[in-house]
Amino acid sequence: MNDMRLTEKVVTETAKITARGVQVHYGTNHALKDVDVDILDKTVTAFIGPSGCGKSTFLRCLNRMNDTVASARVTGRIEMDGQDIYDPRVDPVQLRAKVGMVFQKPNPFPKSIYDNVAYGPKIHGLARGKAELDEIVETSLKKAALWNEVKDRLAAPGTGLSGGQQQRLCIARAVATSPEVLLMDEPCSALDPIATAQVEELIDELRAQFSVVIVTHSMQQAARVSQRTAFFHLGHLVEYGETGHIFTNPTDPRTEAYITGRIG
Amino acid sequence: MTQSHILSAFDRDLESIQALVMRMGGLVEAAILDAAEALETRDEEMAQRVRAGDKAIDALEEQINAECARVIAIRAPAASDLRTILTVMKIAANLERCGDYAKNLAKRSMVLSQMAALPGSTGSIRRMAKQVTLLLKDALDAYIARDARMAEDVRQRDQDVDQMYNALFRELLTHMMEDPRNITPAMHLHFIAKNIERVGDHATGIAEQVIYLVTGQLPGEARPKIDSTTAGGQGA
Amino acid sequence: MTQAPAKSLLVPDARTRARNASERRFRLMGMAAVAIGLVALVVLLVSVLGNGLSSFRQTYVTIPITLDAAVLDKSGNRNPDEMKKVTTLGYGKLMQTALIAALAEKGVDTGDLKPKEIMGMMSKEAPADLREAVLSDPSLVGQTITFPAFATSRIDGYFKGRVTMESAARDANINPEQLALADRMAAAGLIETRLNWGFLTRPDASELRPEAAGLGVAILGSAYMMIVVLVLSLPIGVAASIYLEELAPKNRWTDLIEINIANLAAVPSIVFGILALALFINIAGLPQSAPIVGGLVLTLMTLPTIIIATRASLKAVPPSIRDAALGVGASKMQTIFHHVLPLAMPGILTGTILGLARALGESAPLLLIGMVAFVRDYPSAPPEGLFDPASALPVQVYSWTQRADPAFVERASGAIIVLLVFLLAMNALAIILRRRFERRW
Repeated sequence: MNDMRLTEKVVTETAKITARGVQVHYGTNHALKDVDVDILDKTVTAFIGPSGCGKSTFLRCLNRMNDTVASARVTGRIEMDGQDIYDPRVDPVQLRAKVGMVFQKPNPFPKSIYDNVAYGPKIHGLARGKAELDEIVETSLKKAALWNEVKDRLAAPGTGLSGGQQQRLCIARAVATSPEVLLMDEPCSALDPIATAQVEELIDELRAQFSVVIVTHSMQQAARVSQRTAFFHLGHLVEYGETGHIFTNPTDPRTEAYITGRIG
Repeated sequence: MTQSHILSAFDRDLESIQALVMRMGGLVEAAILDAAEALETRDEEMAQRVRAGDKAIDALEEQINAECARVIAIRAPAASDLRTILTVMKIAANLERCGDYAKNLAKRSMVLSQMAALPGSTGSIRRMAKQVTLLLKDALDAYIARDARMAEDVRQRDQDVDQMYNALFRELLTHMMEDPRNITPAMHLHFIAKNIERVGDHATGIAEQVIYLVTGQLPGEARPKIDSTTAGGQGA
Repeated sequence: MTQAPAKSLLVPDARTRARNASERRFRLMGMAAVAIGLVALVVLLVSVLGNGLSSFRQTYVTIPITLDAAVLDKSGNRNPDEMKKVTTLGYGKLMQTALIAALAEKGVDTGDLKPKEIMGMMSKEAPADLREAVLSDPSLVGQTITFPAFATSRIDGYFKGRVTMESAARDANINPEQLALADRMAAAGLIETRLNWGFLTRPDASELRPEAAGLGVAILGSAYMMIVVLVLSLPIGVAASIYLEELAPKNRWTDLIEINIANLAAVPSIVFGILALALFINIAGLPQSAPIVGGLVLTLMTLPTIIIATRASLKAVPPSIRDAALGVGASKMQTIFHHVLPLAMPGILTGTILGLARALGESAPLLLIGMVAFVRDYPSAPPEGLFDPASALPVQVYSWTQRADPAFVERASGAIIVLLVFLLAMNALAIILRRRFERRW
């Protein structure tokens, strides 16, 4: 096989999150069927697939956001650094500080830019005193490549920023709790191409610090930003592998059909 | 991939590029056969037509490249579609080279028609030309049918062309040793034979592209090479 | 059927014309509907304002009165407790003397009218007012003060055009000569019609003294009830809404509760009155006519409204905000209190104020708990005052319209104006709060 070289490289990297036999039911709807996946540390992993394929569902399993849906039932085992995140002793609130999330639509709180970023550290008690909080806000905004644009108006409402800035503010907000994994649910679907490019550039930079998992409908975006791609279809994880391989020579005919635009 | 795209314009684009490749293949096959016939029948007019016809082939290659660039730009092809486009561009380049060889053949046939004929050799060349055009045709058919096995077959049959070339090489060598006056036509004929052998190699190249297109992998180095002329054992 | 397309875009085809015509018809009908509504509103306002505005003005007989110490304070030590022995009758005599003297001094011809008839032009409330003024300030005794005393409602009506010479001829309470004298007194400057703050501050008065009746007790009673309603229904309503909307599992029980709350909002208010009578007065033993009971029943009535409004505004908070908070690691409670509730606040406040406004205008349940009683004494300050008998604005309107004297029609309309002003003010407050708290997200 020609991609031996690639798989070899992958094996040397450590898995941040290991999922084994994950199943999700929404009431009687079997949304996710027996998903096994290793999310690597300091890597961008893209989940692609047609609408309703289970990719967002799986993403929301990784920080237990599905807990907030009354009818959702998650079985199987998801481990982060070897710890089962669905262990009854795990408090999802604590987990979500470690696994940040950025959503499809930029959703800053209707508060000031500063308060948006400071909120997470505040409720988790990450800062002792105002000076430390200021520093967290500044570094987070810098990490999100937004500092230079907003440093003079931190008291301005976050909702007054442009769409792309809002999304970067949301990224800064997620980064502020110093997470280890960053989940992104179609973070660019509401942005224009320039803002999208900025966010993509940002994702590439963030990769140095955490593992990033991104759900996207844009296959081109998955190809551009990710190192690993997982293709979901009808609740199954059809194929998971090195992004370059998936986009030039996928193994499964369903993957092939999807990425060449033959099934929706 | 038998399933069609959701976006039917994409299918139409790919089909029209495929049609261009087929037309180009047809022109190249005809050019090689015509040139070989012009050589045998010393038909200068036909040779001239073949030389002129190369322009059309070159234009087709350019058109195919432009179309491929357009499809890449606007359709962002992936996986098999991406491989199709890459393959088409390489096939077009291969065919363009074949067209050049046909043109060269025609040019040399015009020179040869002014000289005394070497007995038998032009017939061998025509048989050889026939054989490589067949290879070319099969390679293109394999492309159309996305048939890796047929492509592999073409790769194997290239050996026959190599053997024909080796035989012709020895024959021309004999002519030259017999009479130094034969050297000029024999040299021309040798170049012609070599060019036709190169067309066979391009057909093999096309076949290999077809294998890549279908399987996603280029075939390994198991390609048979029976060019004994470079083996150094023939006193050349 | 497909029609041939019109040849020119400049000429509308039959279909387009028909469509445009129907559009015009609909627009006209809409305008007509709005016009009917506006006319009704204008008629209402004109009638209420026309009848009621005059109640804010009152006719006074202003005369100098010498407060004779020998009559009012025989012991001479200005002790209000001792001075209380002098009854209203004593002050009436004093007033009558002063009135006759004033007429004589100004040279107003009193004609054949006997002193008692002349004194009959003054309100029966006037001596009582004078007595009260003196008792509250004993130092007045011995001085001569200029005292504006209410004229009777007939004289007042005469100056406001409600009473004429013809109606006076048929009236046992007044005769045309008294009206003629009133004209002469007005000319001499002894009678004038001016602004009457007493209408807003004075308590209700008896059937015979409409000129003295005011809304003071009713306004206080209504205010007390609104305080009770606000203090009880806002926290209870918001807490219930948050539980139902954010925390409660969605099952058959919560569905049932939801339906019941919706139905409760539509229950006729008189039913709440019966409930309150049984529950608060008969079982809990709370006093009748008390603002606390009125407040409780109005709270029951307002709760469904507030809960429905609050739930609607909680629902209107975009789920993306909840996701954002949860995604950052906020707990459910933090999400609700830091993000959802502040965003829902304008809606909650609007709903609450509109609920209060409805409660303010409600009369039926208050009738059942006895708030329609005739109450002359102001309730004391809260919280004790909540248990004192009081009236309420809408009930005051109701009870005034029940009275025989036509002067009360004017009073009732005046009370309606006050009620409308309060309602408008509350609605305006709702709008201001909504504007202030409204944020874009």
